[in-house]
Amino acid sequence: MAFTAVRPSAMGCPGGLHFKRENGKLTMCAISSVVVNARSLTKRYGNLEAVRGIDFAISSGECYGFLGVNGAGKTSTMKMIYCRINRTSGELTVLGMDTARHASRIKQRLGVVAQENALDPELDVVQNLLLYASFFGIAGAAARRKASELLELVNISGKERALVRELSGGMKRRLVIARALVNDPDILVLDEPTTGLDPQARLLVWDRLTRLREAGLTVLITTHYMEEAARLCNRVAVIDGGKILAEGSPSALIAQFAARDVLEIVDADGRLPADGLLGGLVVRRERHGDIQYLYNSDNRVLLHRLAELGFEPPRHVARQATLEDVFLNFTGRELSE
Amino acid sequence: MNALGALFAPNAWRVFRRNLQAWQKYAWSSVAINIVEPFAYFLALGFGLGAYFSLTGYGSLVQFMAPGFLGLTALNAATFDAAWGCYERRVFNGVYESMVTAPVDPLEIAAGEYLWQAFRSALYGSLFLAVIAGFGLVHSWWALLCPIMLALSGIVFAIPALYVSFVVKTQEHLFYYFSFVATPMVMIGGVFFPLDKFPHWALAIAWLTPLYHAVKVFRSLVLGTVSWNTGLEVLWVLAAIAVLAFVPVRSIRKQLAN
Repeated sequence: MAFTAVRPSAMGCPGGLHFKRENGKLTMCAISSVVVNARSLTKRYGNLEAVRGIDFAISSGECYGFLGVNGAGKTSTMKMIYCRINRTSGELTVLGMDTARHASRIKQRLGVVAQENALDPELDVVQNLLLYASFFGIAGAAARRKASELLELVNISGKERALVRELSGGMKRRLVIARALVNDPDILVLDEPTTGLDPQARLLVWDRLTRLREAGLTVLITTHYMEEAARLCNRVAVIDGGKILAEGSPSALIAQFAARDVLEIVDADGRLPADGLLGGLVVRRERHGDIQYLYNSDNRVLLHRLAELGFEPPRHVARQATLEDVFLNFTGRELSE
Repeated sequence: MNALGALFAPNAWRVFRRNLQAWQKYAWSSVAINIVEPFAYFLALGFGLGAYFSLTGYGSLVQFMAPGFLGLTALNAATFDAAWGCYERRVFNGVYESMVTAPVDPLEIAAGEYLWQAFRSALYGSLFLAVIAGFGLVHSWWALLCPIMLALSGIVFAIPALYVSFVVKTQEHLFYYFSFVATPMVMIGGVFFPLDKFPHWALAIAWLTPLYHAVKVFRSLVLGTVSWNTGLEVLWVLAAIAVLAFVPVRSIRKQLAN
C-alpha cells in the first residue's frame, strides 16, 4: 500500500538532503523548509485585479488552505502555483524555482487537482491514469502497478475498465486525486476538491487527504467550506477580494477574531439588552435579519446574565465559534455575488 | 521547443496514442463515415455523370477522379477532426487542460494532433485506394507510396484546421472554415475535373492550396506517371508544412501555456 510510510520525497527536500540530530539520532530531512513562497503576488486579467499583492510561505509537510468565496482569488492563486497562468507582478517560487521560468520542472514534481475534473471522457479509468503517468515518463509495468495501487488508495478498484462518464461525481473526484499522485509529487495542489460532492463522498475524500497528509505530503487546498479547512489544514489563509485578510491555524484564527462561543438569538422585537448592560461579556455583536450573533467567551455565563436582566431568549442556539465565524466576520454574512 | 521539433518529441506520440485509444472505441463507425460518403460521391459522379462523357486527354471521368478522391479523403479526414475534434478536446472535454498540468508543452499537444491526423488520412485514404484498385483504376506499383503522401497531406491539412479550432469563439464558427476554405479548396484542387481550362488567376489560387499539389502527386502515383515534377510537388507540401506549422504557435501558447 502506498503512502503508509513517510517517503523522503514527500518530506520535501527542495534544496537537497538535510540532516539533523534529534535525541542523539541522525534524522534525514527533518528541517521544515519553505516549498511555496509568494511575495506581493498579483494577477490581473485586463482591468480585473484577481489577486492583489498577497504574501505567504508554505513549509514542507504542511496542509495549507485558502478559504474564500467564489471570485475571492483562490483559483487564480492556485493556477499561478501550478504554473497554469503567469503572475502579473510580485514573486512566486515553488520548490525553490521561479514559476515563470521553470514551469516544466515544477510541474514534474507537483500533483494537481484542478477545479474542473478534466478527466478524459473518451478513455477508461486505467487509460486515464496511464496516459497521465506517461507524461512523467512512467510507463509499462511500473505505470500499471502504480495505477492499481492508486485506485486502491482512492477506493475505485474494480472500475478499471469503466468509462469516466459511468463514474459518480465522488469517484471522478477521487480518480483525479489518484491521477495527481501518479508522479509521487512533492506537493499536492487541490482546487476545491469537494465542491459539489455529497456528504458521504466528501468524507471519503477528506479521509484520503488526511492519510496523505499524515504520510508527510505537503498539501495546498482551496475551499469555501469552513469545516473542510478546519479539519484538514494546519494553517489557513482567509482570502477575499484578492487579498489575504487573515492567516493562522484554525484554532488561532477562531481565538483571535471571534470569541470562543457564539450565542445566536432570534430577537424579532429588539428586546435584547444592549452590550453595556451585559457587563462586557459580549466581544462583538452582529445582526442579520432577526438573528443576533453575540460573540462571547462563555455562553453559560452570558445566558445567566441575560436571565438576570429578565431576558429569556425565546429561541436561541448556543454553540462554539467556528472558522465560519472568522470567515464571515471578514467577508460579511451577505453573499458577495 | 519549436513547432516542427515537437513532432519528434515523446509527448507528441503519447498524445497520438491517446487519440488512438479513444478512436478504438468507435473505430468502425468512424471508418464507415469516412469511407462511405466519399465512395457514394465517387460512384454517383464517376459512373453516373461520367457515363455521359469522357475528358479530352484524360480518359474517363471516373479514372480522373479516382486519385483526386485520395486527396479529398485526406482533406476531409484531417480537417474535420483537427477542427471539430480538437475544439472538443480543448474546450469541452478538458483533454488538453489536464495535459498541461503535467509537464507537456502545448506545442507537443499540437504535434500529437498533427501526427494523429496523418494517421487518419493515411488509414482512410488507403482504404479508398484499395476500393479504386478493386475497380481496376490503379495502374502502377508507385501507388504503394500513397500512404506516405496521405500522411503528409494529413499534416498539411491539419495545421490550419487546428489553428482555426484554437481561435474560434464557438464551435459553430468552424463551419466558416469548412465552407469558405475547405470546400472551395476541393473545387479548385483538381479533384473532379482538370484545371487546364481555368483562367490564370484561378490557377494561381489553386497553386497556393496544398490540395492541388497533393492531388497531382496522387495522380502520378496511381497512374504511374512519376517524374521529377512529382518530387517538386512533394517538396511543395513539405515546405508548406514547415511554414504553416509556425502560424498557430502563438494561439496555441496563448490558450494552453502559462
